[in-house]
Amino acid sequence: MHTWSPFSYIVINLARQIRANEVTFSGVNSTLPMLACVLAKRAYDFHFTWINVAGGVEPQPTTIPHSSSDPGIVTGSAAIFSNQDFYDLCARGGIGLVYLGCAQIDGEGRTNVSSIGPWEKPKVRLPGGGGAAVMLPTAQRVATWRTEHSPRALVDKLDFVTASGNLAALVTPLAVFQRTTGRFRLESWHPDASLEEVVARTGFQFDTAGAGPTPPPTASETAALRAIDADGAFEAEAAIK
Amino acid sequence: MTLVAGLRAASYGIPFQPVAGVFGSDLARVNNWKTVTDPYSGKEVYAIPAIRPDIAVIHVNEVDEFGNARLYGTPFWDHPLTRAAKRVLVTAEKLVSTDHLREQPELTLVPGFMVEAVAVVPNGAWPGSMHPYYDIDYPAVERYLDNSPGALEAHLAAAPEAKQ
Repeated sequence: MHTWSPFSYIVINLARQIRANEVTFSGVNSTLPMLACVLAKRAYDFHFTWINVAGGVEPQPTTIPHSSSDPGIVTGSAAIFSNQDFYDLCARGGIGLVYLGCAQIDGEGRTNVSSIGPWEKPKVRLPGGGGAAVMLPTAQRVATWRTEHSPRALVDKLDFVTASGNLAALVTPLAVFQRTTGRFRLESWHPDASLEEVVARTGFQFDTAGAGPTPPPTASETAALRAIDADGAFEAEAAIK
Repeated sequence: MTLVAGLRAASYGIPFQPVAGVFGSDLARVNNWKTVTDPYSGKEVYAIPAIRPDIAVIHVNEVDEFGNARLYGTPFWDHPLTRAAKRVLVTAEKLVSTDHLREQPELTLVPGFMVEAVAVVPNGAWPGSMHPYYDIDYPAVERYLDNSPGALEAHLAAAPEAKQ
């Protein structure tokens, strides 16, 4: 039986959101989704098209850069798909899965990447959505992740709504939530945790019907992640507790 | 300009594209183009409705087995056209390896995931030109313009696909 680390739990559960024959996009400041895409290419036997913010289309990087927008992540592409091209593709409904980050997320899958505290007088000014306000409503599905599972990150009420739309999955070190319309429901939790712990550490209300422990990583998922992060540098850098 | 504006609207996923000019042209009347008010300046601007072709067919220099399509020289309308259309078909002068395209991926105009089908048709732009492989065949164009019986049949018989 293969076991989870906080790092492998997020990367592999992000990879599990990818569906066959879809266009999947990984963006800026998205190292974990970038690794999820590389992992899915190695671990799963179905085809999907991976495009990324650096312009890569089906890249085959020999070494994986630490920045998800590093030009090196284009290596091996047979085409360059520019920023304007992938924004437009998303806007006209042509991207199946987009990974978008968040600082806060609420129970209806809305995200805040703009401001902690009031916009007019923020406690922390965040870097912004990077297109999220357009991509979240126009992508067919969006998956997000948070390395901290806490009531201040998974909130009942956002300090600011940066984007609202087709959020379909939320992955934390503790749990996986899914959403089609309306509110998140709990899909599964880390097998070392419990439903009670997920409830206690989540600031929004959610449905738990049908949820159970997350199925363990498969041998091919574990092998792929080990190959991608042979020296453990990505895992150390992510420092997920 | 207005045609490319309509294609842009479709490729951007929006219902219309504001476009400069047009005022004073009868084209607005015959096409039933309408203006909208710029919400920022209050000025009127023509809004060209989105044009979403069912199929775009383009001819390129090189294509690989996955549909990655490379063009040398000028792309004319090929970029907005392939982004606006629901489906994209590609004809190409040459079938090449994916490794060849990887050497200069920025020359690939249409990534394979957008392409539904390809056909390799050497000389396929004839009697038009395909830079840098061949120029336009003006005598063939003139023969095509001939209205006498048998001219069309002779033109079709001389086409590259007829010789394959």
